Amino acid sequence: MTWRRESWTADHPLPIGVTKRAQVGEPVRAGDIIAAGATVTSALRVSGARRLGLSPEDLGRELRVRVGTDVVAGTVLARTGRRFARSVTAPIDGRLLHATVDGDLYIAPIVDRWAVRATLDGVVARSDDAIVTIEGEAWGIQGAAAYGPDAIGELTLVVDGPLAEVAPARIDVRLGGRIIVGGARVSAEVITRAHACGIAGLVAGGAPPAGLRVVYGDTVTAFGLPTREERSMPTVLCLIGFAAVPLPLSIYGPLAEMAGARAAIHTASARLFVFATADVGKRDAASPEDAREGDRQPSPSLAERDEVGAADSDLEAVQTGEELIPSADVPSLRER
Amino acid sequence: MTVSTGTGAPVDQTRVALGQPLRIALLHGRGDGSRRTVAHLALASAAEIVASVRASDSRHFVAAAQALREARPEVVVVHADAKDEAPLAELLEALRLGCAAQQPAPRILALVETRLGEALRRRAYPFEFERFADAPALVGTLRALRRAGSDDVVLRDALIEDGARSLAATTATTALAVDVSDRSTSLVLAHPDGQIEAAHLVPLGVGDGADHIVARAGLDNVRRWLPWPIDAPALLERVWSRVRWPAAPSLTEAAILFEMALAREAIAHALRDAAEAGLDVGAMRSAPAILITGRAASFPRGSQSLLVVADGLEPTGVSTVFREPDEGRAERIAMIVSVTLKRAAKVRFMRAAGRSEARVVPGSFGFVAIAGDVDVAVNGPGVRGHGRSGALGVLIDARGRPLSLPARDSERIPAVSGWHEAVGATAAARGTS
Repeated sequence: MTWRRESWTADHPLPIGVTKRAQVGEPVRAGDIIAAGATVTSALRVSGARRLGLSPEDLGRELRVRVGTDVVAGTVLARTGRRFARSVTAPIDGRLLHATVDGDLYIAPIVDRWAVRATLDGVVARSDDAIVTIEGEAWGIQGAAAYGPDAIGELTLVVDGPLAEVAPARIDVRLGGRIIVGGARVSAEVITRAHACGIAGLVAGGAPPAGLRVVYGDTVTAFGLPTREERSMPTVLCLIGFAAVPLPLSIYGPLAEMAGARAAIHTASARLFVFATADVGKRDAASPEDAREGDRQPSPSLAERDEVGAADSDLEAVQTGEELIPSADVPSLRER
Repeated sequence: MTVSTGTGAPVDQTRVALGQPLRIALLHGRGDGSRRTVAHLALASAAEIVASVRASDSRHFVAAAQALREARPEVVVVHADAKDEAPLAELLEALRLGCAAQQPAPRILALVETRLGEALRRRAYPFEFERFADAPALVGTLRALRRAGSDDVVLRDALIEDGARSLAATTATTALAVDVSDRSTSLVLAHPDGQIEAAHLVPLGVGDGADHIVARAGLDNVRRWLPWPIDAPALLERVWSRVRWPAAPSLTEAAILFEMALAREAIAHALRDAAEAGLDVGAMRSAPAILITGRAASFPRGSQSLLVVADGLEPTGVSTVFREPDEGRAERIAMIVSVTLKRAAKVRFMRAAGRSEARVVPGSFGFVAIAGDVDVAVNGPGVRGHGRSGALGVLIDARGRPLSLPARDSERIPAVSGWHEAVGATAAARGTS
């Protein structure tokens, strides 16, 4: 397990009911919506080809509405003839979901909408109704297991070193929308508190299996549990394992270096992507882990930052949630 | 592994492996027979079942399609009667909606009659559809998919089946092979005529399949076999760490006893799945010859392998137990005589050297030092049998069937410790023996 800057691919499986999706070759940034659609429920089967007196193969020619389109009750779905016309109309508001081999049509009511966001800066390499794959260059690290939905946010360090465990008190709403680096281990209390505070995701050396079971249920396994719904579950990436595992300096150092950069957790592959420049931290460095310990200036802890922020009244403020906080608390690489 | 094909013949280098993991979805008719048939096919082919949908599934069309999409099956196995054609056609439509864009697209293998097969073939478009007239051919195709074109790969499950057949032929009785590996658990019942019934559960093992044991059996069911108190979070952390580093050998006694606990539950769950698939579990439990292989046979002491089988399989008759580790030679380790008693009984042993008797009380569990060919008869329950004791002797198991453990730690731990000590499976027991 090591940091690598290279071209990665990230698969984004899509649920049924896709309305629009990014096309192959389209450039995207992490966090962009790459597919959106409707959540549909119990579908109605409507007689199509038989009602029109057609063979099932000919139904497609007579469809007035493309499969996958939203329709309202009474919409003519297919029609034949001129003077003695026969038609098939939508019995309900919903989506024309599927045409069967027999030439029947499924229409399902729409109960919700969904969106899938990119977890990588890059271009769309594959796009169909089942999956959108993005290929792009980033700093990346392969973790052991990840849980919850994909997460995108600013990488933020809340521990003082690789051996430290994050205390629940360090988590508050000011960190909302960020990906928190939690040091050696994050407890169930930290996970639930982070979720309640709207934190995008947690990255740590490990997380206790019993705590993960409390949060994600008894069926969770050591191989992770990617989920789809945003915000319904917290996101946790265990980089090394499940015990309290001190992060090696070769992992923690670059994390500290890149604090403030945009990042994404791709839970299906258990990877953390960080969108920082190639020479982050050290001008001639090929990789963050190659940087010498002495050359590195790890990000200050939140407590230290609070002191700095309080002393520096000229700092520009940024809005996070309902509070204004100095932008020194969200250092970006541009500012270094 | 090296397989010799005879004196002077060239030696073929082969690899024994589980093959490529194969994710299969099962679509079956409304009858229980159909459910059992597809489950049996999946177990026989050592495929990983990712979805199982009945023709009369209560989920609505979109939910079924979504479940199949998320399952990402590589193969869909279909079995149904003619009367299930309409609901099965609906399921195939759900498969088309859910998996039409999947790459590579799932293949459909159907064990159905010709007319139904033709009807389903039309409805399965655009998926590749293949009809089979008999189950062995379908299982052969699934195994070929797992082999993924590597002719030098010998599938582990096929090797275990060969081992069971060979033992049945040698002993001229039914033989059961029990294999527990990192990621799979197998039970193969072989008859002297070469017929077999096999259940290979993937992923369910003591290595990277260990968390599946916990997910299925529950943490308490693994913990109950440990002869010391341990809290649930610590045990779970141990299981998950094992999953991440499955190759690490169990060196300490605690690690060995923990692996034994996992192996017992793996065997018990393999039996349960085999029973649900309609396999003859009664015959498995009463098989006169039992061969233990894989990780369950690789414990440092034969008594540890024996205890795992006695607890996990719960044999019901008189059985001779062999074990063959992956990197070792086969050996006969002991004979098990399992009896369920309501009151004290006498066990008679008849050998060429003479007769002997032992008094057995309900709940007793321990060895009788007898060597060689033995005829055993227990008055009362009517247990009779013949076997050959191994290095450990004859294990009399009068704990009863089904084996039940006390719920409270204060009663359970002494009982489990006692069983370990009785067979010499722990260092403490070995020190006192």
